[in-house]
Formats: sequence, structure tokens, C-alpha cells
Amino acid sequence: MAVAAALALAPRLRIAPRDPATETEALLGVAGWAAQFTPGVALEFPDGVLLEASGSLKLFGGLESILERLRRGLAEMGWSSVLAGAPTPRAAFWLALVGKQKFIGESAELQPVLAALPLEVLRCNDETLAAFEAIGVRTLGELRALPREGIARRFGQGPLAELDRALGRLPDPRNFFVPPARFRAAIELPAEATQAETLLFAARRLIVQLAGFLAARSAGVQRFVLRLRHRDRAATEIAIGLVAPSRDAEHFTLLARERFAGLELAEPVREIALQAEDIVPLAGNNLGLLLEQGKPPGQWEHLVERLQARLGAKAVCGIAGRAEHRPERAGVIADMGEKQLQRDFGERPFWLLDRPRLLAEIEAVPHHDGPLELLVGPERIESGWWDGHDVARDYFVARTQNEALVWIYRERRGEGGWYLHGVFA
Amino acid sequence: MYSPLPAYAELHCASNFTFLRGASHPEELVKRAAGLGYSALAVTDECSLAGIVRAHVAAKDAGLPLIIGSEIRLKDGPKLVLLATDREGYGNLADLITRGRRRTNKGSYSLSRDDLAGGLPGCLVLLVPDGKHDTEHARLVAERFADRAWIAAELLQGPDDRARLAGLRGLGKACGLPLAAAGDVHMHVRSRRSLQDTLTAIRLRTPVHACGHALFPNAERHLRLRMRLAQIYPAELLAETVRVAERCRFSLEELRYEYPEELVPAGETPSSHLRKLTEKGLAWRFPSGVPGEIRKLIEHELALIAELKYEPFFLTVYDVVEFARAEKILCQGRGSAANSAVCYALGITEIDPARMNGLFERFVSKERREPPDIDVDFEHDRREEVIQYVYGKYGRDRAAIAATLITYRPKSALRDVGKALGLDLDQVDRLAKNLAWWDDRGSLSQRILEVGLDPASPIVQRTIKLAVALLGFPRHLSQHVGGFVISRGPLERLVPIENAAMKGRSVIEWDKDDLDALGLLKVDVLALGMLSAIRRALELIGAWRGKPFIVTDIPAEDPKVYEMIRHADTIGVFQIESRAQMSMLPRLKPKDFYDLVIEIAIVRPGPIQGDMVHPYLRRRDGIEPVEYPSKDVENVLKRTLGVPIFQEQVMQLAVVAAGFTPGKADQLRRSMASWRRNGDIERFREPLISGMLERHYTREFAERIYSQILGFGEYGFPESHSASFALIAYSSAWIKRHHPAAFLAALVNSQPMGFYTPSQLVQDARRHGVEVRPVDAITSEWDCTLEAGADASPAVRLGFLLIQGLSQAGAERLVAARRERLFDSVEDLARRAGLNQRDLKCLAASGALEALSGHRHDAYWQVAGIETGAHILRDAPVAETSAILPTPTEGESIVADYASTGLTLGRHPLALLRAHLSRMRFATADELRRLPGGTPARALGIVTGRQRPSTASGTVFVTLEDETGYVNVIVWPHLIEHQRRELLGARLMGVEGVLEREGEVMHLIARRLTDHSALLGRLVTPSRDFH
Repeated sequence: MAVAAALALAPRLRIAPRDPATETEALLGVAGWAAQFTPGVALEFPDGVLLEASGSLKLFGGLESILERLRRGLAEMGWSSVLAGAPTPRAAFWLALVGKQKFIGESAELQPVLAALPLEVLRCNDETLAAFEAIGVRTLGELRALPREGIARRFGQGPLAELDRALGRLPDPRNFFVPPARFRAAIELPAEATQAETLLFAARRLIVQLAGFLAARSAGVQRFVLRLRHRDRAATEIAIGLVAPSRDAEHFTLLARERFAGLELAEPVREIALQAEDIVPLAGNNLGLLLEQGKPPGQWEHLVERLQARLGAKAVCGIAGRAEHRPERAGVIADMGEKQLQRDFGERPFWLLDRPRLLAEIEAVPHHDGPLELLVGPERIESGWWDGHDVARDYFVARTQNEALVWIYRERRGEGGWYLHGVFA
Repeated sequence: MYSPLPAYAELHCASNFTFLRGASHPEELVKRAAGLGYSALAVTDECSLAGIVRAHVAAKDAGLPLIIGSEIRLKDGPKLVLLATDREGYGNLADLITRGRRRTNKGSYSLSRDDLAGGLPGCLVLLVPDGKHDTEHARLVAERFADRAWIAAELLQGPDDRARLAGLRGLGKACGLPLAAAGDVHMHVRSRRSLQDTLTAIRLRTPVHACGHALFPNAERHLRLRMRLAQIYPAELLAETVRVAERCRFSLEELRYEYPEELVPAGETPSSHLRKLTEKGLAWRFPSGVPGEIRKLIEHELALIAELKYEPFFLTVYDVVEFARAEKILCQGRGSAANSAVCYALGITEIDPARMNGLFERFVSKERREPPDIDVDFEHDRREEVIQYVYGKYGRDRAAIAATLITYRPKSALRDVGKALGLDLDQVDRLAKNLAWWDDRGSLSQRILEVGLDPASPIVQRTIKLAVALLGFPRHLSQHVGGFVISRGPLERLVPIENAAMKGRSVIEWDKDDLDALGLLKVDVLALGMLSAIRRALELIGAWRGKPFIVTDIPAEDPKVYEMIRHADTIGVFQIESRAQMSMLPRLKPKDFYDLVIEIAIVRPGPIQGDMVHPYLRRRDGIEPVEYPSKDVENVLKRTLGVPIFQEQVMQLAVVAAGFTPGKADQLRRSMASWRRNGDIERFREPLISGMLERHYTREFAERIYSQILGFGEYGFPESHSASFALIAYSSAWIKRHHPAAFLAALVNSQPMGFYTPSQLVQDARRHGVEVRPVDAITSEWDCTLEAGADASPAVRLGFLLIQGLSQAGAERLVAARRERLFDSVEDLARRAGLNQRDLKCLAASGALEALSGHRHDAYWQVAGIETGAHILRDAPVAETSAILPTPTEGESIVADYASTGLTLGRHPLALLRAHLSRMRFATADELRRLPGGTPARALGIVTGRQRPSTASGTVFVTLEDETGYVNVIVWPHLIEHQRRELLGARLMGVEGVLEREGEVMHLIARRLTDHSALLGRLVTPSRDFH
């Protein structure tokens, strides 16, 4: 259905583009979960998970029991599923595809069941499907009834080979899915340590090991935990979070050093362990791409992270210029590292008042510690209607009695009046 | 102290023809400048003269001297404003713009200093300093444009205008250039600031809050009060503007048209030549002598044409029509002038002025001084030949197609403004899409709510306000469908030429209204699908009868034709085949040609909104007396029983009843056509109504006429057009009535056109007893053809053109190979016709190979096994085990027929479902026809169309088709809200409702809709929705 048609039917529909990456992630999640039932888990992209379950039947108390666990587990994770089983993975998958919750134990039963399945299970391209329809063939059985060499000439070997695999007449080897590991490692210290420096040295070894582990998997972490074991007391846990996933050992070490520096140990440390749970692919997903395409984080960013580690994330920020005609909005508190703007407007004071201050007006002359002398202006600024804070002002550079330069404006609407807005340094 | 306001001429001003920068229409700028008492206004759009004709017309109106100029940003600097002083300078400017525009893609231009090497004689130059390279630029300008160059001093309340002015003065002194004040105007009033900012945002494709310094810092770029200017500028800088303006003497009035010379043979004047051709035509039209009345008409018209020097228009159109006639391309003129006696004599139209009873009293108005309106329709698939002829005759440097100005419509305005204001793009798009259906303001807030926006929120309010202001703003120029302008000299010295979006095409910067306003020679070469169909039908009839049959062989006023029309049996007939027309026919009951003219004009939004339909029908049926408020009005309205139906009548009423001069009535007509844009039709309300009251018409009558004029605005149909269309309608109806087989074949061969699909046309023909035969590789041609059928009447053989995906080249090779020798197998066909797999498969899927291969499935199996292409084993015989494929069921065949050709000659799909449908108590269309009005009824059919006419206040009309015919369903708005899903989603729709009947016209008023699409399975059912 076209988007426009769908919207016509349900105008409040929310439209989201299909996201293959998320789908794959979900499938991987299911596969990882299913690995508890058998080491033989294979993926059938984009929507199937195959379990080599015959070896596990005994262990889990038979087919019904294992199915029950699968059903319940998948439902708990929020997935709707169709479960089917057969002597060959392809046949099992096809049965699931057509929505049949069916389990075939014997190869002999396979052929009549498969014969009734629609050709769509072959997942061949639209053109081939249309061709099947054009010769009036709907099911795998009807296809098999046609001369083999005739089918091969017209549609290639693909459909027949698939059928043979499903029937077990051709081998159908699968690569089993390897669940992603978590990282856990520990070092027993040669002697009980109280010095942060000593701890850091040991932690550094673990960090390097983690970095290697991550590199081998093209992965990164955004958070890891250092656990310091003591003789009697409960372990001290230090959780270290990053701005973005990383596997940079130097960076990890720096962050650890900052944390150790502020640490007060209640008891000496006997063992130090590093645990990283949320290992995320770093080359594959968007976040990783961004990091790798951009410039490698320089010293500046690391300094900020270190400052923020000590003082708190909110305590350190930047200021940046914004291209904006309204002076009070032309500068903003910004995240660190935002670019400075090139100036292409008139003279602006270094200090801008938080809020413009109404000036006395005596005989049409604005006063601020005495009458002001208007030097330059008016510079007219009329802007900002789009956010409800439209301004209309005539700005002047003015001189006070004591030779200070100030930036004042005359309000062009409402009551009018003169305002002090800034002071030149 | 008293000080008089200084005189001032604005020399630097962009209108909204500087797309997405200027924020005011040229007309607004001109009016405002005149109102402020400016001495002159230069409209200087950036590298464009597209807006100057509008400015010119408005300036003439306002009595303001207008200067034609353009702002040019040279690639290598500087930015200049060029102003034309005389015709020579104007030509140079137009030529320069053309050069700059032709070099780059549509919408941009590229000019450098080299392009000004010649100095652009006849133009004055203003340097717009950029603050960076001023000295260098000023030296360059001073050197190249000695004594006709200035520095534009644009003081716009910037950071330090005093210092800036001092700098510019220094610069002027150093380089010997005088200073003149200028305003860099982008809007006529300062309140357009938010719109101007929005345009910037749209141009930069950035939300306005993120546009930063790309926005202007303030609203000073408007036409400022002279009092303000006096405060800002030294007096001599203001005085200088007037001196500059006084040197610009050029006016567009000077583009006094010089017509092409080749129209008149040596030794003749245009007048004598036109007379000669007219006399020749009269002798041909009236072999037994010209009737006195016609002679009188001819003399009157010729005198008028000569007085206004309009001969070239008639001669040009005559020349084009003569070419078409020689090439046997059907054509017909329309438009007010086309229906003159002179045009009849010249063969431009077929409407016998005598037969029309002296209808066209005024074909060209002396006062209007506007060029005569003659459009010529040609067969749509041969129009290109005519266009090439015009290019060939006058050369591409002298003939060009006029522009069509694409302006902001509600949808596009909303979308662009929404984006500029940073609304969620998804919501904006949905809102814009939703609006296409419901575009009146009243339901706007409802639609806004529906897409999840709050109509009361400031941002939505701002969006709507700005979108409304943006409506009618020009967006870009596109090519007109066929309006040619022809000049005597090189065109680019008359009007700049730009590249069009399509590669190799160009477009001039003026549209048809602009050409009209300047009185330039234009001729409309339009395309009409029905003319192609008629020509094809005539050829088929001629071939069938064994002697040529031409348009003029169609007998006039055949009662059988009108009888058919009265029964609304008009599927496929030109103009009167739409559902609205078909429900009007049995009520209006046309009995002669003039009734047909009325029929065509009355089913239009104009007459419907102006409430003219019912009074006319009542008077026609004698239910209501025919009365006239005065003799004058009677003269105008007599032929339509006192009810104004045609646009001309409304104009004449303004003249006779309200005392308008014809010139003023014409202004009214023009503002009617554009009232949505400018809203200035209001200014005619007062004079119209008071004019009528003065002439002792009642206020009620006056108000009614005014509202009728409003209704006519966009949708009024001129009688002259209607008459030309009626001729074509009559011809096509005659062919349908007497040669239904040829009619069907010709219509199918001319697709796409008209309201009906080939499937519907075929069903209709079969209901009229025409035998239709399937596409067949043994006999079919590319087009549908006539074959000998039973009882000596022709049968239609469907052509290969109906098979989706089949290439015409492949089909033609097949026909050629078949002519040599009949095919003995599918393989023989494939080999000798050299068809590729795709063509072969299309043929097989259509069932056209059945005679050679057995049923469809077998055919497809066979063609799929054929080796095509340059394969070394291509011709080697393949020994194959034969395959046994299932025979298609009837249902499968129907599905395959529809999928391949869009129609079936088997049973209608619903015939297969009928038993089931009867159990569900659905009646057939045929059964409904026999029920009286007021009966509750249930119908079900394939949805073939959904329409939501703008005149029907939200009602949707649905057409259902079953095996016995059509059911017209009316769905009222309250039901739409509840059953949107069924209404829009159902391909097979069930309707419970009540029959409504008026004579032969029957509707089913829906009470409940049900969706039964699942019953259709994979059947493809096209529906024509909302267009």
C-alpha cells in the first residue's frame, strides 16, 4: 500500500521508514537468547531463527517442553512467532513461513507436506513468481511434477536446488551463530594495595586486555566497571561511562586515573576486576561510523571529559556565537567545541546586559550617569517574528559623561523608551 | 519650518519575479510607489524581465512612469543595476539576460565582465558597492559606462550609515562617479518582512530560525516614505534619482509590433491579401452565392480588422490551418474571433455563422484593443508536426512558445512555509496532501487537527497567515502548452529567453497574458485527443466502406444522434461523457446544435455556483415564466431564456445593465480570472451594483448578477469555446450512433483520453451489439482494426497496443513477419519476428498466442523455453519432455486478462460472483434501473471512479460497475467522516441506500458502505480518483 493511500485511510498514522539494522539487531537478540537451548543456532535473514534442536530434546524434556519454553520466552520478549519443525532446516523454515505450527519428525512425511506449500516460500524474485503464475503453477508439488530439465532451462537451478535441500536430497550446511561475549577479567594483586598509582597500573593491564578483546570483535563499550575487592568489606565498584562507545585504551586509562585520584579507600585492595557488559559493535552501527569518520577526539575533548569527570558534567560548558540579528540571542551557552562564528555585523560590545535596562529620558535625551552623547547610529534591528520574540530597535553607540562607551537602543514599538544593552570594554 | 517633500525615483527594486527574494507583486510595488508620490519606479528583477509587463500594465493604470531594468550580479563582480533608456538599450538588456540565462541551468544565470565589453549602449548603470572591492569596481564602471554610471547609495539603517555615506562619497570623488540614492527594495510595505524572511528560508532550504545573517537585519528594504528619505539622504542624492529617471524614456508601449513579413506575398498589403483569401473562402463555402447577411457580417468584420490592423493574426492562423489541412491533420479553431464569419470563410472553423443565428455580434472589441483570441486545436498525436512547421517557417530565433507562470498553490505554499517555519516535515506534507481534497478555509482547522497539529498554536497560525500571503507568488516559468509568439526580428531583443527544465527546450519570460497586454502576435497550437480519435474513426469508416469519408460528410442535425444524447448514451462522446454531463442530458434534453452548446457550458462550476442551472431548466420545461427586467437584458439573455450561462453574456450584462464601457467590462473579465490572486474584483462591486440601481434594476437583481460574476470568475465558459466543442461533440456522437465499431476502435487507439478506460469502452460497445474479438497473434495489428463480423457489420479486433509491456517495435516486426508467411508455431513466431523474452512473455500472458500454442499456461511455458538473443545454439532444436500444465480456470483467465490488457472479453468478474452476491442480497445495476425512486436498495460493484467536485460541498460521487452496467452513488459528507476507510479503500464496494430518481437520472444515496475487496482476489481494478 502506498503511504498516501495509508494516510488517506488513517490520517493520524505515524510513518517510520523500515530499519533493517534494527531488524537484524532484533534477530540477533532472539538468536542469542535461543542459544540457551542448543549450540546449533543459525540465522535465516531477515526474519527466521533456526534451531538444531534434536540433540537438545532430551535435555529439555522433549519437544513439547522445549516449544513451550520457546513460546513463553519469545512472548515475554514481546515477539510474535510461528514455530515449526522438520528434519531439514529449509523445510522447517518454509512451514513457519506459511504460518503452519507443524512438526514433522520423519523424512518420509516431508514430501507430501511440502508439495502443498505455495511457491512463495521459495522467496525468489517477483519476476520468477510472476512466471510461475503465468504457467499456472502454484505449489511446490506442481513445480516438482514438471520436467526437471524444463524448469532448469526456464528458471535456473535455484528453485529445484532449494526444493532438494528442503527434502534433504542436497546438503544444507549452516553457519552457527556465535553469541557475543561479555568481557570479564580480574587480576589478583601481588600485594594488598592502597596506592591509587598501584591500582592504576593493574587496571591498565585489564584495560589493555579489554581493548584487545573489543578490537577482535570490532566492538566498543560505553561503560565498564572496575571492581576492587577487599579482604573483609564489600567490593568497591567504580563505574566508568564514556561520551560515546570506544575501545581506546589510552582514553580508558585516563578516565580511570581521574576516578582513582578522587578515591578514598576504606580498606586495602586484594583483587581488581574489570567487567564490560554492553558490548556494542563499533564498526557496524551509525554511532561507530560517526566516530570513525570524524576527526579522532583530540586533547581538547579529553580535557573536557577529565574536567567533567572531576567537576560534574554540567559544570563545564562552552559559549558560541550564533548567526542571529537579535543581540541577546547571538551568543549561547553551548556544548563544548562548537565553532565560533565569523562576524559580519556591526560593532558589538564585549559585555551584554542580561536584560536591557530602561534609561531615563530627559528632554528626549537618554541618560545614564548623566546625558548620553549618541556617536554612531541608528542601526536598526527588526527580527525574530518566528519565535514570538520579535524585536524592533534602533541601536546607537553612545558616550557617557565619564567617557565610557555604551550600547543603547530606542524601542520602536509600544511605549518606546531608551534602553542600555551593553558596555564596550 | 515648512519643507516640501523631495522628489524621488526608486531605481533598485525587486519584485517577486526575483523568485524567493522579492516579497511583493509588481502591481503592489507600482501602486504603492504611485501612492507615495514617487516620480518613477524602476522594476529591476535579478537577470529577468518576467515581471515587467504586469508592472507596465499597473503603471499605466496608476499613471506612474515605469523604468525597465534588471539587477545583474556579475560572476567576477560587481553587482549592477541596468536601466533601459530607449528601445535599443532595452533590446541590449533583453539580449544580455538571454545570454546569461541560456548559459546555465533553469533558474540561474551566468554573466561576467566580458559580457559587458560592448558597454550595453542605451542603458544606464548603477553600481551596488559590496564594501570589499569598491574602488576597483567603481573604476571599471566609470571607464566602461562613462557619463551614464552612478554609485547606488543604499542607506538602510545599517551599523554606521554616516560612515558608509562618507565612504561612498569619497569613492565617487576618486572615480568620478556621481551618487544616487536607492533602496534595494524587496517589498512594497515594511509589513512584508516576515514573508520576505520566509522566502529567504525557502530559498536556502533552511528553517527561518537557523537562517541567521542570511536574513536582512531589518525591514528597511521597502518603498519608504519620502519624508523618511529626506531625513536619511542629502537632498542632492534624492534629486539625482529623478535626473536618472528622466533619462529613461523607454516604455513597453514602444514594442510596437512589427509583424512577420512572410505572411503577405509581394505586391499585396495585409488588408488586400486577407480580403482576397476571404473571398476565395466564401466562394468555396457558398457555391450558390453568399447570403446577404453573411456578406454584411464579412464587410463589418473586415473593416474592423483593418482599422485595428489585426490582419496578421488571421493570416498567421490561416497559414497554420492550411498547413494542417494539406497534411490531413484535423484541426478546429475556437475562441471569440475564431467564430467570426471571416474565420468561417478561411476554414479556421466549421461553425456556420448563419446557423448560429448571428450569435457572435462582437468578436473583437474596438475599445478593448486586445488582440483577437484564436486558439486552434489539432490532433494530439500530430500537433508536434504543426509546431515544427511554425519553427521551420519563422525560425527558432523568431518563434517561441510562451511561458506559463507556475505560482504558489495552497498545497505548495503550505508545504514551503511549513518547512521554513520548522514544522515537522511529515506533518506538513500530510497537511498539504490532505488539503488537496478539502481546500476551503472553513475545514482547514479540522484538517490541521487531523494531522496532529493544534490550529490555535502560534506557529500554526503563523504558517497559515504566511501561506495565504504566499499564494499566487510566482515560483518558476514553465512552457505553455502551445502558445506561440512570432516576431519580426530576433526574439531575444524583444523578450529574454531562458532554458526550460527539459534539455534543449527554452522558454520566453512572458506568459500569454503578458503577450496579450502588449498586443504581440501569438497563435495557440493546442492538442486535442478527440480530434485524433475522430480522424481515426473517419479513416476506419472510409476503409470499411471503400471510399473516403471526411468530417464534412457527417450530416448535420441528425435526430437519431440527439435521441441518443437525450438518453445519456454518451460514453466516449466528447465533453458530454462525464458523469455530471450524463446526468444533465436527460434533464436538458438537447434537440439541436445550440442545445448542445448550452449543455457543454452549463455543466461547469461557474453556472452551478452561480445557481443558473435550475432556473434555466425550469424555464425550459415551462415551469417558470421567461422574464426579462428590460429590453436590453432581453437582447443579451434571450437565447438562454433569461439566465446568463456564458461568460460573454455576463460581460455584456455589465455593459447594458451597469453601464460599463466594453473596456471596463474587459478589465472586469481579467480581474475575474485572477481574483483569487489579487482579490481586486471587489473594486468592481460598487460600480456594478450602483450602475444597475441607476438603471432601475432591483437590488436583488444587481446582487444576483454580481454573485454570478464571482461564480464565473475562474470557471466561466465562453460561448465561442462551447460552440466549437459542441461541433466536436456532435461529430463524435454521430460516429458513435452510426458506426459504433469504428468509434470503439478509434477511441481505444487514441488512448489515453477521455473519462473511460478501454474496458469500459469495450463493455459499452458490446452492449450496443458490437462484436469485439480478442488480441490474437494470427490476426491483430498494433492498433485495433475492423474485421468482417456476422451479418455484414464490422467487428472490432483488439490490437497489440492493449498488451501491457509489449513493445510497439516488437509487435510491428511480428506483423511484418506474418505478412510474409503465417506462423506455424510459437517458436517460428519468436524467431522470425526476432522478439525478446519480455515481448514473448507479454504476448503469452495476454492469451494472444492461444491459436499457436494452446492455452495461456502452455504459451508461457513455451516462450519461456525459447532461447532468444544472439546465442550460438539459438536455432538448435531442443528435445524436451513435454510438460502438462493446468488449464486456466475461468477466474484465472479473467484475472490474467485484466492484468495484461486491462479488460476481459469473458464474463464480467462480478458475473462469477453473482450467485454469492445474490445470497448477500445485492441487486445488479440493471435491476436497480427498474426500481422506482425512494426504494431502499443494496448495490455492489467494482469502484471505477471517485470524484469530489469542488461545486458539491464535500459530497463524493462513486461509480460502481457490475456485469450489467453502472450505479452512481452519492456519499454525503457526514457519511464520509464515518466511513472514510470503506470509501477510499474499497475496490469492490457494497452500498446500502435509497434510490433517487429524476426521469432517467438515477442515483443511489448511500447510507452505509461495505468493503468486499477480498472477493476480487488478485484482480487488478483501476479507478479514476479525484482528478
